[in-house]
Amino acid sequence: MIVENISQRAGKRVHVVQGEHYVTGDPEVTLTTILGSCVAVCLWDPERGVGGMNHFLLPEGKAEGANEGRRYGAFAMELLINELLRLGARRERLQAKLFGGARMFSGLSDVGASNIAFAERFMRDEGIPVMGTSLGGFGARRIQFWPTTGRAQQKTVTDTHELTNLKEVPKPAPVVVDDGAVELF
Amino acid sequence: MPAPGAIKTLIADDQQSMRSLIRTSLNALGINQTREAADGEDALRALLAQPANLVITDFNMPKLDGLGLLRAIRAHGPISKTAVIMLTGRADRELVQRAVQFGVNNYLVKPFTTATLKEKIEAVFGPLE
Repeated sequence: MIVENISQRAGKRVHVVQGEHYVTGDPEVTLTTILGSCVAVCLWDPERGVGGMNHFLLPEGKAEGANEGRRYGAFAMELLINELLRLGARRERLQAKLFGGARMFSGLSDVGASNIAFAERFMRDEGIPVMGTSLGGFGARRIQFWPTTGRAQQKTVTDTHELTNLKEVPKPAPVVVDDGAVELF
Repeated sequence: MPAPGAIKTLIADDQQSMRSLIRTSLNALGINQTREAADGEDALRALLAQPANLVITDFNMPKLDGLGLLRAIRAHGPISKTAVIMLTGRADRELVQRAVQFGVNNYLVKPFTTATLKEKIEAVFGPLE
């Protein structure tokens, strides 16, 4: 089941693309993703040493308003949490880090803000403590997450090739130039 | 043709957000008599204390999962006729087959809409008023 969620794997690095998730208890694995207005939720159980990441973009609901997005998001979160529980994680020990939700292009709707609002509300509702965030802003992020320890690293994406590959972002706004990797939390 | 307001419903899911979404959808259909349980054991206790007409249960739950809850309901005389709709993920075909064997009334694939939930409930109870 886990193998189905691998989008591409090079050595011990697993890249999680939009709509997918990955969980593991392997301390050698680093999860990576590139985010625009999408949000990645990183969850881990520090006692059990297992963790995972998802990467979602909520649909902009029309038929049922905001509920459609909430349904999709709650399901995406459930998939991640259920697989962590299967690996021995305990719900009450889960901790979270949240990334993404940038406003990548000008328009009437701020999809990134909706994604952030959902993720923050979900953590509140489920009582999962949020240990760190890097949310909002106007630039894409490249995230690395070490799922067994909860360590995370963020780098601002300035490579135009990477930005072109962000399917969710048809017209990326200029990003702040920052070549340094930043250790978070 | 049952009046939606008369259908007493128990929602069993370990995720508060999912229970809230299901409750919102039920309320939109006029089903306002709802109770909630965070795992299968709690759900069974609640049913034995006060029966319901319909149980909407997730499969993945701590203590007693949805399949265990279904089997327990069918094994307890006073509540054995309770209608049960099971929530599943896309890849859970095998689970659905097992649930059918154990007497599930219907199943609902997540993420679902209020319209789909209505269809499933109507397939069990007949058209809602």
